[in-house]
Amino acid sequence: MVKKVIDKSRRNDRLAELLIRVGGLLVIVSVVWILVMISRVALPLFYPSSAKIAATVKLPAAIAAGTVLAIGSEESQRGVFTLDDTGTFHFLNVADGTVSASIKVPAVPEGAVRVASAEYTGKTLYNLLWDNGAITSVSVALSSVRNADGTVSLSHDVTGQDGLSLGASSGVVQSFARLVEDKGTVRIDRLAGDRLRVTHQLVEKDLLGNEKRSSASTDITDPLPGHLSAVAVDSKGHYLYGGTDTGWLLRWDISEPGQIRLLDSVSASEEHKGITSLALVLGDVSVAVGDAGGSLTTWFPVKVSGSGEDRRLTRIHTLRSTVGAVSRIIPSPRDKTLFSGDAGEIHVDHMTSERNLLTIKTAASVNRVALSPKGNTLAVLDGANSLTVWKMDIPHPEISFGTLFGKVWYEGYDKPEYSWQSSAANDDFEPKMSLVPLVFGTIKATICAMLFAVPLALLAALYTSQFMSPKLKGRVKPVVEIMAAIPSVVIGFLAGIWLAPLIDKSILTVFTSVVIVPFMLLITIFFWKRMKTASPLQRTARGHEFIAMALVVILGFYSAFLLSGLAEVHLFAGDFKQWLFSTLGVRYDQRNSIIIAIALGFAVIPIIFTIAEDAISNVPRNLTAASLALGASRWQTAWRVVLPSALPGVFSAVMIGFGRAIGETMIVLMATGNTPVMSWSLFNGLRSLSANIAVEIPEAPLNSSLYRVLFLSAVLLFIFTFIINTVAEALRQRFRKKYGRY
Amino acid sequence: MALTQKQEGNAPILSVSNLNLHYGDAHALKGINLDMVRHQVTAFIGPSGCGKSTLLRCFNRMNDLVESARIDGSIRFNGDEVNESSTDVIALRRRIGMVFQQSNPFPKSIYENIVYGLRIAGVNDKSTLDEAVERSLKSAAIWNEVKDRLNESALGLSGGQAQRICIARAIAVNPEIILMDEPCSALDPISTLKIEELIEELKNKYTIVIVTHNMQQAARVSDVTAFFYLGELIEAGGTRKIFTNPEKKQTEDYITGRFG
Repeated sequence: MVKKVIDKSRRNDRLAELLIRVGGLLVIVSVVWILVMISRVALPLFYPSSAKIAATVKLPAAIAAGTVLAIGSEESQRGVFTLDDTGTFHFLNVADGTVSASIKVPAVPEGAVRVASAEYTGKTLYNLLWDNGAITSVSVALSSVRNADGTVSLSHDVTGQDGLSLGASSGVVQSFARLVEDKGTVRIDRLAGDRLRVTHQLVEKDLLGNEKRSSASTDITDPLPGHLSAVAVDSKGHYLYGGTDTGWLLRWDISEPGQIRLLDSVSASEEHKGITSLALVLGDVSVAVGDAGGSLTTWFPVKVSGSGEDRRLTRIHTLRSTVGAVSRIIPSPRDKTLFSGDAGEIHVDHMTSERNLLTIKTAASVNRVALSPKGNTLAVLDGANSLTVWKMDIPHPEISFGTLFGKVWYEGYDKPEYSWQSSAANDDFEPKMSLVPLVFGTIKATICAMLFAVPLALLAALYTSQFMSPKLKGRVKPVVEIMAAIPSVVIGFLAGIWLAPLIDKSILTVFTSVVIVPFMLLITIFFWKRMKTASPLQRTARGHEFIAMALVVILGFYSAFLLSGLAEVHLFAGDFKQWLFSTLGVRYDQRNSIIIAIALGFAVIPIIFTIAEDAISNVPRNLTAASLALGASRWQTAWRVVLPSALPGVFSAVMIGFGRAIGETMIVLMATGNTPVMSWSLFNGLRSLSANIAVEIPEAPLNSSLYRVLFLSAVLLFIFTFIINTVAEALRQRFRKKYGRY
Repeated sequence: MALTQKQEGNAPILSVSNLNLHYGDAHALKGINLDMVRHQVTAFIGPSGCGKSTLLRCFNRMNDLVESARIDGSIRFNGDEVNESSTDVIALRRRIGMVFQQSNPFPKSIYENIVYGLRIAGVNDKSTLDEAVERSLKSAAIWNEVKDRLNESALGLSGGQAQRICIARAIAVNPEIILMDEPCSALDPISTLKIEELIEELKNKYTIVIVTHNMQQAARVSDVTAFFYLGELIEAGGTRKIFTNPEKKQTEDYITGRFG
């Protein structure tokens, strides 16, 4: 009989042990699994780029005989095309090297015979400069089409563009033509003898639709510091850039017809290496400068300190330094990636992240290089008339540890900054994905909330546990615990919709009450002591003192409100926020850190209160009794014996509250305004990591950089909480050893 | 009731008269009358629940902590009424120290445990504290055992040592009376013996009231013994007389082990 019972309990023991072990392991496994899944999405951000040769096509002799002025390719590396000086586009099948079509441009300008040069102007467009100085624009479409029977064939088309068609001109070495919005066209001619001429063809329409054409031509007469060695024009025809063989970079404003102004003239190279190539980076703000020394730098105008609104070209990023001269720069049509070629190599760098993404080895002599419109295919024509098509995989060029965690000098900024701005309305916008403002926001929100919640929750726990009458305690505790069950979206909603406007209206009351309420409490306590010894109030009031205190607090808030009204009128000229802005330069946001401190604090108070109250109540009565028996007051007992004994538990409570605050999403999302600013001001909002994920993940295209960065920030959040919890547990163990068992 | 004055001829330091105590509806102490004499050891004996600990806790108003306790009657300490609401409880507890059944050192160092009573009274002078620590540890006969580790946690001490630390802590504030609530019930025989020897020593300086379940202990250490039963004081008198020739039948039954 006894043996049976022992056997049974032994079996139960073993079963329980097994269950607990399996359960624990499952928890660990699932946590690790979640981390692995999140990391797997984030990891490709740091994958290296690759390029491999998709095909090499030997150009047929018929084509190679003429000068190839331009080449092009399409996304799937199946077709390429070349342009020869007769104005004929030859489309080639990459697979077998056969010519699938040869199409001549539809319109040859009058008096023109040959094409002198071709300029790729983005998308499918080319500007052709004819031997008589005329310019025409042509669109070349090449794509691969999957047929019904599964085979793939090339579709090609060459169409003339009517908008840009400029007449003959003599002595032209190089020429650029641009459509100017609402105005007509502008052409920039580089003439022999380092001369530049800007010609505007203006078309003005009056209300009746009558066109009035006029033309303004200006020769640039500014003295050049050397011989002109490279010229570039932005796509809107607003700015003209020139580089000299002495290393000077010049910029002219050509947006006003007849009024050409030299804006900048800076030495771009310390060793006066000649500028060998210029190109505008996507977005037309930055200009990439390659010099004879092999260095590639990008420049854009920056506000110079002390010169008001004046902006001067400034070197922003230095991308590479090699030995050979940078012979060509090809900006990516999709992002701020730059392809720069010298003899034998093509370097792929991202401007903003300054990452060297790839180095592609080519033949020593390269005639033409072209990128496909999506930027994933590179066609290289070498001196031996061999055309190599590279398939490139550049997963996330704009992301690096530097851009995620360091200061980055973005286009248009006056200095390097931490910035989060993941999207904007225009296409050539560059996403700014620094996690620093978000980490900052998370820490700020948590600190603000803890500063509000910890003193309140701990003092409340101490009072409830040690001073409140047991009957009331039995009611108060469940009520506070129910507080913890309020969905955070409700708290966030109330904070954003009700509290924020309220505090907005009476911000000064918040400050006056911080002073007045404690002051009035102190006065009351002072009188309370007198009152207590004098009257039999003592015994009845014990454990209910807080009722009187609540009245005092309400009274305190009311007088703070009255006082703030007076203060606002007499001290702050009637409007505190205005005063704040004009005197201290502090901007007041309606959704600010005070709101988040209160709302998030409100959410973590119950959890801190409950755990701390338990820890404090678990301090054995006989310790309290020992202290009281030695003549300690209840306050002394609570402060000197109970609190130190309960310290490990109280610390746990605070850390659990901290963990909750750091990961809290909904409240932060709704009450902070989600402005990713880095300011310690209490009057500014913030954006936390968790809220950022919630805000942006619905907008992030699958597997885009933004998508992966959001997952990375989730990993970061995970690591944060892991570190905090580990440190907290280690500290708790130490406290436990030092202060005892409870 | 047998009054203790007869034996010493001293004025009582504690004088209980017609004391009643209710815990809610339960009548825990019924009309107690008892005097305790300076520099004597008074032992309270009786079966569990007889009210002896409750009475002990009335002397330093520890029953204040019990919400439902209601007291009437009088306890005079050096002639001053203890139960008056105007009585300064803190001052009272400084003069009437207490040692509990379970040793309850604070989770602090041995040194801080001893000086706790002084610190809360506002004494922070290092030499005064040092002097008090040495004096009270010596009085509690534990100085030699702990003098080299005063800064270690008191939680590392054995039960007997911890209890003597608690006694030292109580006498550090120089009380007049030390109340001991079954101080040896959780201790082994050797530790018990040490505490009993200590009580013999302490009675030269302090008045001691001890609650005990152990009748041999009462017989060994006390000068006066009071027997309680069901909230009533059955008999009080010289220890020798109670144990050899009790007046009441109930006392005799309890002492001879017929119930309890």
